[in-house]
Order: sequence, then C-alpha cells, then structure tokens
Amino acid sequence: MSYLCLENVVKTFDKTEVVKKMNLEIKKGELVSFLGPSGCGKTTTLNMIAGFLEVDGGRIVVDGKPVHLLPPNKREMGMVFQNYALFPHMTVFDNVAYGLKLRKVPKGEIRERVLEALEMVRLAGYEKRYPKELSGGQQQRVSLARALVIKPKVLLLDEPLSNLDAKLRQEMREEIVEIQKKVGITTIFVTHDQEEALAISDRIAVMYEGRIEQMDTPVEIYNHPKTDFVSRFIGEVNQIQGQVVETYNGQQCKITFDGYEQVISKLGVKDSVMNFYLRPEKIQLAQTNREGLHVKLERKMFLGAKTRYILQFKEKQLIADISNTVLNPDLIKEGQDVYAVWNPEELLLVKK
Amino acid sequence: MRKVLPKAGLNLFCLLVYIFLAAPIVVVLLSSLTTTEYIVFPPKGITLRWYTELLDHPEFMQSFTLSIIVAFGTAIIATFIGTMASIAVVRYEFKLKTAIVQLVGSPLLIPSVVFGVALLQFYSWIGIAASPIALVIGHIILTIPFVMRLVVASLVGFDRSIEQAAMNLGAGSFKVFFQITLPMIKSGVIAGAIFAFITSFDDLTVALFIVSTDVVTLPVRIYTYMQYQYDPIITSVSSIMILLTFVLMVVIERVLGVGKVFASKN
Amino acid sequence: MQAEVEVQQEQEILYKQEKKRLTRKKLDSWLLLLPTLAIFIFFFLLPLFFLFITSFKTFDAGSGIGSEWTLQNYVKFLFDKFYLGVLWRTVKIGLLTTLVAIVISYPVAYQITKANGRLKNYLTLLVLSPLLISMVIRCYGWVILLSNNGVVNNTLMKMGWIDKPLTLLYTEFSVVIGMVHVLFPYMVLSIMGSLERIDPSVIRASQNLGASPIRTFFSVVLPLTLPGIFAGSVMVFSLAVSSFVTPAILGGPQVKVMSFLTYEQVTTMLNWPYGSAIGFLLIFIATITIVVYSKLLTRSEKGVAIQ
Repeated sequence: MSYLCLENVVKTFDKTEVVKKMNLEIKKGELVSFLGPSGCGKTTTLNMIAGFLEVDGGRIVVDGKPVHLLPPNKREMGMVFQNYALFPHMTVFDNVAYGLKLRKVPKGEIRERVLEALEMVRLAGYEKRYPKELSGGQQQRVSLARALVIKPKVLLLDEPLSNLDAKLRQEMREEIVEIQKKVGITTIFVTHDQEEALAISDRIAVMYEGRIEQMDTPVEIYNHPKTDFVSRFIGEVNQIQGQVVETYNGQQCKITFDGYEQVISKLGVKDSVMNFYLRPEKIQLAQTNREGLHVKLERKMFLGAKTRYILQFKEKQLIADISNTVLNPDLIKEGQDVYAVWNPEELLLVKK
Repeated sequence: MRKVLPKAGLNLFCLLVYIFLAAPIVVVLLSSLTTTEYIVFPPKGITLRWYTELLDHPEFMQSFTLSIIVAFGTAIIATFIGTMASIAVVRYEFKLKTAIVQLVGSPLLIPSVVFGVALLQFYSWIGIAASPIALVIGHIILTIPFVMRLVVASLVGFDRSIEQAAMNLGAGSFKVFFQITLPMIKSGVIAGAIFAFITSFDDLTVALFIVSTDVVTLPVRIYTYMQYQYDPIITSVSSIMILLTFVLMVVIERVLGVGKVFASKN
Repeated sequence: MQAEVEVQQEQEILYKQEKKRLTRKKLDSWLLLLPTLAIFIFFFLLPLFFLFITSFKTFDAGSGIGSEWTLQNYVKFLFDKFYLGVLWRTVKIGLLTTLVAIVISYPVAYQITKANGRLKNYLTLLVLSPLLISMVIRCYGWVILLSNNGVVNNTLMKMGWIDKPLTLLYTEFSVVIGMVHVLFPYMVLSIMGSLERIDPSVIRASQNLGASPIRTFFSVVLPLTLPGIFAGSVMVFSLAVSSFVTPAILGGPQVKVMSFLTYEQVTTMLNWPYGSAIGFLLIFIATITIVVYSKLLTRSEKGVAIQ
C-alpha cells in the first residue's frame, strides 16, 4: 500500500519540461533517495511535493488525499534544506518551537516536545544558542529537529549533507538513517552523491532528464542496472567489446574477448559484436598463464584498503580495483604482463 | 627603512585629512563657548552664556520642534511606503518595472533646487500652504531613494529558503512576512529610517522654498539668521545639534551596531 | 473512466486557482507600489512637468509667468557671456571638487582597507560621521575658519607669512573646500568598495614576480581601482554641480553657480520662466554626466575589462 504517490506529475519552465509525467510510489516508513546529476529534476520534484512549486499536470497524493492543490503551509511536510535555512534571529529553541507555536500547541507541551527533539538530534543544552553560534553539522541537526518536531507526514531532505565535510557527512548520514528508522517516518532524500544514496536508502529513484530511469533497492540498482544511464551513473564501469563465437539454443552464447572465451547466459547473434560494462572491483588479476585476458599493467595507485590497477588492453584501458588483502600490490610491477579474469555473470550488457 | 617611510607618509597624510574633516565641527563647538559678542576662534574665555541666551530666542526652539516633527513624520512614512515598494520591486514582476525603479531613484539626480522650485509652484497653484505636511511630502520624495536602496539591498541578499522553511512549518504569507522576513531585513529598514530622518532634518534646499514666516525649519532658521547676524548664538544652536547627532549615534550603536548600519549601506 | 473525469475536474480547478493567484499577485505588487507611486506622480513628476512648461513661457512682471510661449529663456542663457560664465564656473567647481576629492580620498580609503577589525570600523565611522551632521552647520564651521579674521588668516598673520588677511571666504576656493568636505565620504566609500574587491593573491602574485610594493601599487592596485574612482567621480561631480547649500553659504552672490542662479531668479527676481529654464539646463548637465558614465561603463565591460 503506497503512502505517497506521484501520478503523471509534470513541471514546465519556459516551455521545457523539466519533469516529464513522473510516476512514483513510496511506502509508509520508507526512505527513498532521489539520485541524479544536477538538472535531472530531482529538486524540482521535491519542491513540487513540498508545495514550493506548483505542478503543471498530474497529482500528488499523500495518505490517500490529493495535496497538490494545497499551499506549502497546509501540507504537513517537514523539510530540511541544503543550507539549513534556520531563522537567524531566533534561538535554537525558538527555531524548533516555531512550527509548534503555529499549531497552537500548549506552552508546556511545546517545551517538552522541543527538548525531546533536541535530545534526539543530540543537541540537548544548546537551546539558547543562535544559529550562527553553531557549526554546520549542528545547524543541520537543528534543522532536522525543527522538521521532525511537528510530526509531519513526510520528511523531505534536500541535499542535506552537501555543505558538510567528508567525515562529518558520513557521521550525519548514519545518524539521519538511525533517527528515520526510530521515528518510522516516510522520507525522501535528494542527493547527487551515489555513495550516499546507496548507503542509506531503502530504495533509490535514479533520475535523468526529468524521468525516473530506475527505482529499486540499492543492491538491485548496483548489480542490475536497467538502463544505460544507470549503469554509467552508479559506480564506475569499464566498457569492453566481445565477439559472439557460438550460440546455444537461444539461451546462452560463447563470447571471445581477444581470445579470452566465456559462456554467458544472454541471447546473442553469431559473429555480432556485443558491448558490456564491467565494474572495476569485479576484475581479478593472475600472473600465471591461466585462461584470461592478456593485458599489461601500466600504472597502479595505492588507495588504502585497495589498489587501483590501470591495465593496457590493445589501445584501450581497463581499470581493476583489488583489495590489498586479496592481492599484495607489490607483487606485480608496472610494465609487467598479467591476465585479467572475471566471472561472466558480472558482465552487464549495454542496452542500446 | 624603505617600507617604513611610505607608511609613515601615508599615515601622516591621512591624519591631516582627518583633521580637515573634524576642523569645522570642532571650531563650531569650541567657539560657542566664547565670552565675546562676536565669533572668534580660539574662544576668549569660557562661558555657557550663549546657551542661556537661546532662551530669549524661542523661534529657534519652535524651529527645532518643527524640524523634529517633520523628520519623524518623513522617516516613518518614507520607511513604511518605501519598504512596501521595495518588496514589490524585488519580489514581483510587473509592467514598467525599470521605468518605475528609475522614477523613484531620480530624486538623487534631480538638483534639489529645481525640485524645490517645482514644488513651490505646484503648491501655490493648487493652494497648499506652508505646513508640516507640505514639508513632509517634499522630504518623503527626497528620502525614498535612500530607504529603497537600503531595503532592496537587504532583500536582494535574502535567502528565500528561510521563508520556505517557515511556510513548510505551517506559516501563512502574513506570518512569514512579520515573523521571518521583517525581522531579518530589520537592519536595512532601520538604517533607511535613520537616513530618512537625518536627510529630512538636514534639508535646507527644498524647505527654503516651502517655508513661510511662521513655519520655519531649523536649517532654514539658521541659514537666514546668519545672513544678517554673526553672533555666537548660531554656534550654540549648532553645537546642540551636533551633540544631539552624537547622542543619536551612540543610541544607534547600542541598538544596532553602527558597523551594521553602514555595512548594509554599501 | 471515472478517475479520468476526476483528474480532469481537478486540473480545471488547478487552472482556475493558478489564474486567480496570478491576478492576485499582480494586484499585490500594484498595491505595494501604490502609495510611493502616487506621491511620486503627484508631487514629483507633475510639479516638474509644470515647471518644464513654465520654462517655455514669457516673463510677466506682474504674475511672474506670462501667457505667451517662447524659447527666449534658453536662448538668453546660451548666448549671454555672463550666464555662460556661471555655467562654466559651476562645471569648473565640480571638476575641481572631484579632483581634490580623489587625491585626498584615495590614501584614506587605502589606509582604512589595510586596517583591521575594530580600527577599520572606527575609521570608517570617522570618515562617514560628517554625513550625519547638518550640512548648514559644517559650512558654517568653514565660514568661521575662512573669514577675514578667521582661524586661517589669524594663524598666517601670526606666523608673519602675510600682513593683511587673504580673501578666502566667498571665493571659488571656499566653495571647493566646503564641497570637498561635504562630498568626500562618497568618494571614500566608492574607492573602498573597489579596493576591497581586489583579490589579495593578485598582490602577492605581483610581489612574488619581483615587483616592489610601490611598483605593485601602480601597476596592479591602482588600475584595478579605476572603476571605483570613476564611479565616485561621477557621483561627486553630479552632486557638486547640483548642490545648493555649500555655494549659497560659502560662495553667496559673489560666487554664483547654476543652483544659486535658479534660486535667485525665482525668489528675488521673481522671473519664474527664466529660473525654470536655468534649472532644467542644470538637470541636463547632471543627467548627461550619468548617461555618459553608464555608456562608458557598458563599453568598457564589453571591450577590455577594467575590472
């Protein structure tokens, strides 16, 4: 049973459709990320859900009721803004209390709920401070508390972590997920950072040019990207070409990558060329003369837990990321000949 | 050595400029204390005689009160309607916007003398006599450009997402304006009001054309008095005005922080 | 099928609401503008328009404004040596004021930008404080300083440099001094603005390449602040040519400028048409300055960037 639905939602700016007939269903308590490059329509969609932009067509339904005709102040949605958007002339307490005051909640209860919310975001004791006296991370927590304290139907997060530094970003995102699960609130999280989206989401909606390319769990999105854009956008990929050598009863075919022959469970036409994506971490290297693609190690980069090997294969480059516990990076020298091998299941067919 | 010399030269030069800036003000303040019947600097002896003598000149007191009333009226009205117009200009799109913006900014370009003459002719044609209201109307036009510049500047740098946050929490547009927007552009609005007050209080050019024998603002009173008299009474009136300005500045500093007021001016 | 109808109905409501909102928005903006616009149209545009008409009327000794139409007022001004002299003096005073203001403002602006924290705030305040004190009083201070037995003359005589007082007051000199004093803060603010926009790394780069501080100043800092000087000059010049208070107090009838001439024609000669014509010529000069400035500015932005 879906809780938040977008039905054929359209948004047009100056005659260009920036959101094209979008359909989306989110279950109650689910955390869904909108992921995509800038200009893909993710923020526009979020602003339409929040009511800051009007829909030019279609409907938005929350909990069975259409809300797309309501002004933003009647939609009961909590929003956390990219730049926090705290009221600079109010203390932390007043910021969080603002929504409750507007709802005419009794004073005693306001106090109780505000303190509880601040406790939840681990900012107890900061009530009297002003926003400018807080660090970026703290401001973001206040913003989160302010959005949650009114017990909204949906929580909207607009790139909430993009103004924080790398380490704090990871801490905060874990905290956000923790709070979200505790409160059990339906949440939309807009981001352009795929790692962030993969780490926290129940499901991800990958958007491109005003459309949802694929909406699925992080694991599905990563392992089984449905469109060309999704394969390229999520994670890194090598692009390789293989030639179909033989086909077996329409279910499988044998492919050769410059002599490295593999049987894959995909439909192929004999003698045709097929394009594949292959994730760098799916490639293994072998020194001995085993069956594999003959490549030359051009350069290697030590990246901490893993090492990136840049391999020369004909005029093309192939990237392999291998954990240092699996392969000692000192073992292979630059300029050395090696064999690249992979599991044929990991080949992602490029869809034209 | 090579570095010290230009720096010392620069500081000396600036010091001379600061002295140049302060000179006429210091001279007025000090020469108001002279015991002589004529203005002399440095003053001969020290007395507050010229201040007590002011009591025999109730016309200065009347003019002072009138100037304060006119300046207050101007500041309040110009700030109020100027803020409204600024919001329209920054937040809305409408026809003739550029032309309207240029119109309300043009009193800065039109010489005040010409505006004064034009207003005098217009007032006499439609039969408006010299009155505080006639002065306030003229001064509103002189001060609106300042008010609008300051308020527009504070609105332009305004982060709209803060208003969206308030709306998102359930505030309607009136609540958003009075609880969020206005407190945040407060410094621009107050700075506008202060500039309007000072400009109105200081105006001689336009007032000169509008005043009559019994409605005379302080600058006009001082100007006409010193055409004929050269006694220290003028310096004592002026000193009181300077000291009042000083008090006003300290109050503003306490309430707002002067840095802020001028920061928003640029 | 029914759902489709519902959607259609909703779309219609949406469309109507949108239309209503747009008209309300339009109404809102005009309501917000109304008071300001009304005052400006009635008490600014209309009076100036009537005055413009007056400037094409003949002079009538009885009522001031005659009933005939004429171009005589403008012709009289433009072909009379005396009046052209006043025009020239006004422009000359404006130019001199601007020049002196640049020379004394630049070091001050430079010093303030270099200062840090509190000192910077106090210096800024010091420079701007004259703006808050009545112009009449400041000019009066200069009267005391520059009069025949004023401070300057007395000091010079005591030093034995002169034996009889110099005529300083009611000269072009005293008017320029007073104007510089009044308009100086505008120039400082303008130059400070452009000095503060200079990226400090540009200066470091110049020094890193081997330029001395003085060389750096002349080849990097000064060119980068030219737009600020330019903008300040336009402001100071246009305010100087149209100012009335300073020339009236420090120049008087001896140093007639355009604004004083307007005032005199209207209040003492009661020649309204001629006064109006002079006033509009003054507006013309002030406007021309601004227009030329913005033309030059757009050109410099298109071509070789000054900034």
